Amino acid sequence: MSQFRMLVLCLVPLILAGSIAYYFQLTYGLTVTGMGREVSWGLYISNFTFLVGIAASAVILVLPYYLYSYREFRSLALLGEIVAICAIVMCMLFILVDLGRVDRVLNIIRYPSYTSVMFYDFIVLSTYLLLNIGVVTFILKGRSEIAKLLAVVSIPWAISIHTVTAFIYSGLVARSFWNTAILAPKFLASAFASGASMMIILGMITKKYTGLKIENEALLKLAEIGVFAMVCNLFLAGVEIFTSMYSANPEHVTHYLYLFFGIENYGNLTSMWWISVILGLAAVILLIIPTTRRDKVFLAISSTFILVSVWMDKGLLLIVPAYVPSPTGLIEEYTPTILEILISAGIWALGILLMAFAIRSVSRYKFVLYQR
Amino acid sequence: MVRYGMVIDLNRCIGCRSCAVICKIHNSLPPGTWWHRVETVGSREHHVSVGKFPDLSEVYLPVPCMHCDNPPCVKVCPVGATWKREDGVVLVDFERCIGCRYCMTACPYGVRQFNWEDKEKAIEKGFRTAGFDGEYVDGYRHGYPLDHRTKDGRLVYTPERPRGVVEKCTFCVQYIDQGLKPACVRGCPGNARIFGDLDDPNSEISKVLRDKAYIRLLEDVGTEPKVFYILPVRKKGRGIISYSTKLEVKR
Repeated sequence: MSQFRMLVLCLVPLILAGSIAYYFQLTYGLTVTGMGREVSWGLYISNFTFLVGIAASAVILVLPYYLYSYREFRSLALLGEIVAICAIVMCMLFILVDLGRVDRVLNIIRYPSYTSVMFYDFIVLSTYLLLNIGVVTFILKGRSEIAKLLAVVSIPWAISIHTVTAFIYSGLVARSFWNTAILAPKFLASAFASGASMMIILGMITKKYTGLKIENEALLKLAEIGVFAMVCNLFLAGVEIFTSMYSANPEHVTHYLYLFFGIENYGNLTSMWWISVILGLAAVILLIIPTTRRDKVFLAISSTFILVSVWMDKGLLLIVPAYVPSPTGLIEEYTPTILEILISAGIWALGILLMAFAIRSVSRYKFVLYQR
Repeated sequence: MVRYGMVIDLNRCIGCRSCAVICKIHNSLPPGTWWHRVETVGSREHHVSVGKFPDLSEVYLPVPCMHCDNPPCVKVCPVGATWKREDGVVLVDFERCIGCRYCMTACPYGVRQFNWEDKEKAIEKGFRTAGFDGEYVDGYRHGYPLDHRTKDGRLVYTPERPRGVVEKCTFCVQYIDQGLKPACVRGCPGNARIFGDLDDPNSEISKVLRDKAYIRLLEDVGTEPKVFYILPVRKKGRGIISYSTKLEVKR
């Protein structure tokens, strides 16, 4: 397990750096971030949105395995649940570091506000976390019947965490960039694309370094699901762009013009947008052609492309353009600061470490997988 | 029932930004925080006219919180820290806000402000930027010096600025609760503002709104703002100055 030790040695410094950066943020306030009056959400909320998708996409493994008894997903389904747990933990950390008064976070329970989507998001995320912890615990304890029940219950919650997260954005009349019904379905499509890619990469690594049995067949099935979801995602993105651009509703057009070409001298997201589109298209082409799909190296590359493309598309490219230009026409751009990047990297490192630990202990565990 | 609103007559606004400064002084806003802004319509920079010479226009637009009747910011707050009081004023509870900034994202007018850093830090930085070594007058802090709470005990104004919470224009809640008008209304040198009870048909504001054509900002988003603007009219005859259209100076 020397590779594992290497991984830990790589991740721990990142976590430490992130903690120190967060200490600075606690001391000086959110002024150390690149967020400001106009762009009031940035890298933290971007990562949060992406990770909710990763968490929700466990459903693409859980649903075929538990509902339709697709046996090839046997060990991957367990991995998916572990990934979901880690992703939710990361989501919650990203929300916590984004709060101005983290000491008051329990106000969400003390003074719940039933008109706020964020309150419902808190509820669905927590429930989904508990359900997945339950599933994993019961599988490891050999109580597969209860595990199956909880897993089936978790399916609608997986869909709902991402739908409700999309509602956080799409329900705002002030941000026309988000104010579209297509946001929730697009979130689900991109979530399944990124989730499948993540599971392919994770599955390959797990297969190589642990004793866990993962069939190639399962990874290929995941690739099919992933590319299908990615095509849906690109299609939905295109539909939204057409509707906005052709109708030429200025409130919608300005944000896309900012993304495509920039407005006046402001355009620090333009290259990222084009990279995201090109990576997404390239991955789709690579995954549709059977020879490249079946090739391990190409599968890994295209999965990485999808991950990166969706991370951009559902991260900064989703959050920041909604603020630029503001509804009253002001333009202020956003660039994350070093501290912000360090904190985000620290949370990612912590999540990956958590994942690695969980997968390692599970692969050593003599558990009975659910069998029909 | 009282329902407070404000009329801003753009015919009388001279774009001096006194309202923004008075607001800043009375509400002890730290440097970098503005509850109130004044813009020149159509122009990136204030006091820069729009159009082609000689057909220029320069309309100033003061933007305080609209105190919407259907406030999108109140709807989204996950902890109920911001709410619309019975008199229609939208307030923020300094002691309950968790600083998630969802309300800033939900506000179409961009009037909500966040305390990104400590007030003292901001003041120190402000003085340094302005070229002072220390403070102009040591230890002096501008602004209404007392905390103000609503009847149900919620902290809606404090000269201390708790870091990490959202704040915004309160229609000067510390004054209107004492029967005074907001600072920007009292301080406007052009006397462009009228403040009062929209539900009272005999109040000055109701009378003005009955007689004049007015607009509200971003009316199509359905927020029902309670700040009304009387549009400026180009004056003919008295007061008009006829400029020569030549750009060169005669020698």
